[in-house]
Amino acid sequence: MNKNLLFKVLSLLLVASFALTACAPAAPTEAPAAEVPAVEAPVATEVVAAPMEDVAIRWRTRPDNQEEIDVYTKISGELDTQLEGITLTYEPGGTESANYQDQLKTEVAAGTAPDVFWIPGTDVADFATRGLILNVSDLAAATEGYKADDFYAGPMYHLTYNPETAASGADSGALWGLPRDVSTFALYLNLDLINEAGAPDPRELAKEGKWTWEAFLDVAQKTRALGSDVYGYGASAWWGPYGVWLNAAGGGFYNADRTSCALNTPESLAGLDFQRSLYQDHDVATPYGEDPEPVFRAGNVAMFQNGRWATPGVRTVDFNWDVVELPKGPSGTAGNWLFWGAYVINAKTEHPAEAWALVQALTTAQTQGQISALGANIPSRVSQEALDAFLTFTPPTNNQAFLNGIAADANPTAEGPLWAGSWPEFSKVMDPAVQGVLTGATTVEAFGATICDEANKVFVK
Amino acid sequence: MVINPRTEFLLKISMVWRGIFSLLTFGVVIALWSGILTSELALWLKILLTVILITASIFSAIGAGQIYRREHSGRMISLVIDYLAFVACSIIALNTGEVFIGIDALGETFASGLPYLGIVAMGYFLGVIDEYYTQKKQLWGESSLKVVSRWVMLGGFVLFIFQVGAIDGILYFLNKLTQPLGILSVAGIALFGFFMWAIGRSESAVAMHSKTNHEQILSGWLFLSPNLLGFLIFFAGPLVLSLYFSFTDSDAFSTPNWVGFANYAKILNIQLVSLAYPEQLAKEVVNISVYDEVGRFTFGNSGILFAAADKYFWIALRNTLSFVFLAVPLSVFPALVLSNILNSKLPGMKFYRALYFMPSIAAIVGISLVWQWLYNATIGYINYFITLGIEFWNNLFNLAIIDPKIQWVSDEKTALLAVVLIAAWQTMGFNTVLFLAGLQNIPGELYEAATVDGAGNWDKFWNITLPMLAPTTFFVVSTTTIQAMQVFEQVFILMNPPEGPNNSTITLVLYLYRNGFQNFKQGYASAIAWVLFIVIFGLTLVQFQQQRKSSIYES
Repeated sequence: MNKNLLFKVLSLLLVASFALTACAPAAPTEAPAAEVPAVEAPVATEVVAAPMEDVAIRWRTRPDNQEEIDVYTKISGELDTQLEGITLTYEPGGTESANYQDQLKTEVAAGTAPDVFWIPGTDVADFATRGLILNVSDLAAATEGYKADDFYAGPMYHLTYNPETAASGADSGALWGLPRDVSTFALYLNLDLINEAGAPDPRELAKEGKWTWEAFLDVAQKTRALGSDVYGYGASAWWGPYGVWLNAAGGGFYNADRTSCALNTPESLAGLDFQRSLYQDHDVATPYGEDPEPVFRAGNVAMFQNGRWATPGVRTVDFNWDVVELPKGPSGTAGNWLFWGAYVINAKTEHPAEAWALVQALTTAQTQGQISALGANIPSRVSQEALDAFLTFTPPTNNQAFLNGIAADANPTAEGPLWAGSWPEFSKVMDPAVQGVLTGATTVEAFGATICDEANKVFVK
Repeated sequence: MVINPRTEFLLKISMVWRGIFSLLTFGVVIALWSGILTSELALWLKILLTVILITASIFSAIGAGQIYRREHSGRMISLVIDYLAFVACSIIALNTGEVFIGIDALGETFASGLPYLGIVAMGYFLGVIDEYYTQKKQLWGESSLKVVSRWVMLGGFVLFIFQVGAIDGILYFLNKLTQPLGILSVAGIALFGFFMWAIGRSESAVAMHSKTNHEQILSGWLFLSPNLLGFLIFFAGPLVLSLYFSFTDSDAFSTPNWVGFANYAKILNIQLVSLAYPEQLAKEVVNISVYDEVGRFTFGNSGILFAAADKYFWIALRNTLSFVFLAVPLSVFPALVLSNILNSKLPGMKFYRALYFMPSIAAIVGISLVWQWLYNATIGYINYFITLGIEFWNNLFNLAIIDPKIQWVSDEKTALLAVVLIAAWQTMGFNTVLFLAGLQNIPGELYEAATVDGAGNWDKFWNITLPMLAPTTFFVVSTTTIQAMQVFEQVFILMNPPEGPNNSTITLVLYLYRNGFQNFKQGYASAIAWVLFIVIFGLTLVQFQQQRKSSIYES
């Protein structure tokens, strides 16, 4: 064989193999060797009867780190075996260069999105009203063992909201998916700083029912007095952290049926004013808008407000720490949020029944327990077994603080979309205005006088 | 001229094919609009396809006539149409075979085959030994090592193909091609490929009276075609499409509705109203169901209120222009000075040239994250060094300078400046290299003559360097301005939220991104993009006009 010809043939084969390898189905990824503690909880739902032939289902959820990718991959492998007739492919969403939601929306628009995917709770209305996700109420009604009550009521209010009838609930005729997990805020405590300042232990105060705004301010001031670079309190600059102060004062972002702005009510303004005082009058907080997490990790913040998702990162700090629930405000509650996201089904899926089977399998107590064991979230299923297992995922020792935050008597406000308006637009108006108040650029009175004039425009008239 | 029967036959069927193709494309257009083919296509897609198909139909018919008359332009038309259709069919076939979405599979499996490619490399190495050690021929006989080399290479390659799953890939690809669209596209490839060959043959060229320069033109377009097609499909196409979307209410998911100039009208709907007193509320002077306050200019006991239907656009425009006016001088003037220093013959200059260029090639996400840490008001290094400096001066001279503890990214007064500093730092290195190239093009004789005339360093810089650098300066300022007008990444990564405190860092590109991807307003975002284009175009035009006044540039 002529040498040149040989090289030409080899080169052509190489190029062809590049292209043709791209056609080959993705190689199965091996599950990680590390064992994740399994939760002894019953599978609460029946999986839909498997079809005769294997169907390929792609699913995606947003992982926070490689550890979560490994667990989701392992779960996908297990469910692949468990769900007869279904071949699963798990795709971790989002990359360094592509935001999870942007990538997903682009794929949805292009018709290449996975069959099942996760979206944040605030996005459900946008996806549902545009017909991008499947209403699975009929499938759910035909599924033995499925009960909406098995999940927290807050997320299910939105997931069963029927925009045509404005009704919500198990018989509303709508079901947009099932919640993947829930989360809530707590205060991560630097116990060394609190002890050094001689401040009372917030956990003890909480047990005694004395964990109020006044007690919180007292601890913050005492720890702030330790030095100019030590702060009593730190929170990130987004709607979650500042919203709890409004909620705890009896106010909130919207009125009860979420059809108009309530940021200018006396209660909301009182909550905002208290938070403003933490930054401006008492000077106990890390500057608003600066990321408080590195400061907390450096051991310079006594109370760091964040969700359960911050736990894996905090576990690596080298000081004594624990968590406590948020302090109770004038309304008698801490005004906490119930954060959640949901597994939903692509409206263009060719296999709705199989996709629904997967959504159920992904939200069983056992699956949620495997994810929660990593420490970043709380099971969305109201199951005593799941919650008992959650308490064992330490540190922090006081995991109960998170459960107290989402307990029914704490009356948490469920994060959710605006069915009568646009949540991103509302947030766009609210966030900079609140930031203006907390950084001292605007007064609370000026905020209250104008905010709802602009914010109310985002609601459908 | 005598044309052989085979060529005569091929030209005849090419002519018939052109006629059939013309009728076929026309038929597809009718089917498209009558709903026989599909009723789900968006209006814009229907119009686009119609324009393409009708054009192809008309040209194909013309081509048929010209082939009949043996005019070379008929051959050109035929080749262009068949080539474009061939490429289109190839893309459809590859897409039907899911080649384009199999990249992940390629990444996962290809790496596993690399060891076998090592065997191929080893075989090649044996072949090299065979060529360089001729003595072995006497020992082992003629080309024995060469044979071994070939078999090792082939064996390694076969193993590689199996390992990476190319066989599965072939089967999967072929299986996918059995769909109607796959079969149709493969038939198209064969058909268009055949007629390209039929009319592209040199005998056909002679019969069609093609000359050498016609062949050269064809070759030129053929070489240009990959780039040209890429430009049309991935740049010009989306550009035109975004113009169309800017006149619709597109949300990227549902069929867009034509809204005319409504998006542009909203962007440009502003009001300037006199205020009775400086603190007068906006709702007392404008219809707040339409307008929001953007800002107010106060003087004495009165003022003017600036209100807009979309206040964020105007805030974004203000921030973007502020960014340009700060970032462009900060990345051009230091670059000019630096390039003059680096242009000297001092030792180690090459090292410094590389050093200053490094920020330009570093990943913007990484850079922004590093700066985020540096800017941190409580534990950041910038404030740490400011504190150290103040303490030093206070102790040395017994002063009482107060540490400002600047909140770089969380104070609306400094947030944009923080972004400007990063952008200037990053762009400066690239601009320095451009200025260096310009400096090295200035003839040395000019400086020698100036030296003879007794000019000092400043005179030389002012009277020779600067004027001679004018074209480079124009290029640097224009490109830096265009780049600055499109600022996005630094803001998006550095600021949290990206809009910054009190919207102090919201920029036009960030705002259009928010509208397009988060607020489901692709139509409105497209309109913003076109307004941004007009602003950039206007600024560049002004720069061009200013530059034309320079006699140096004109000469």
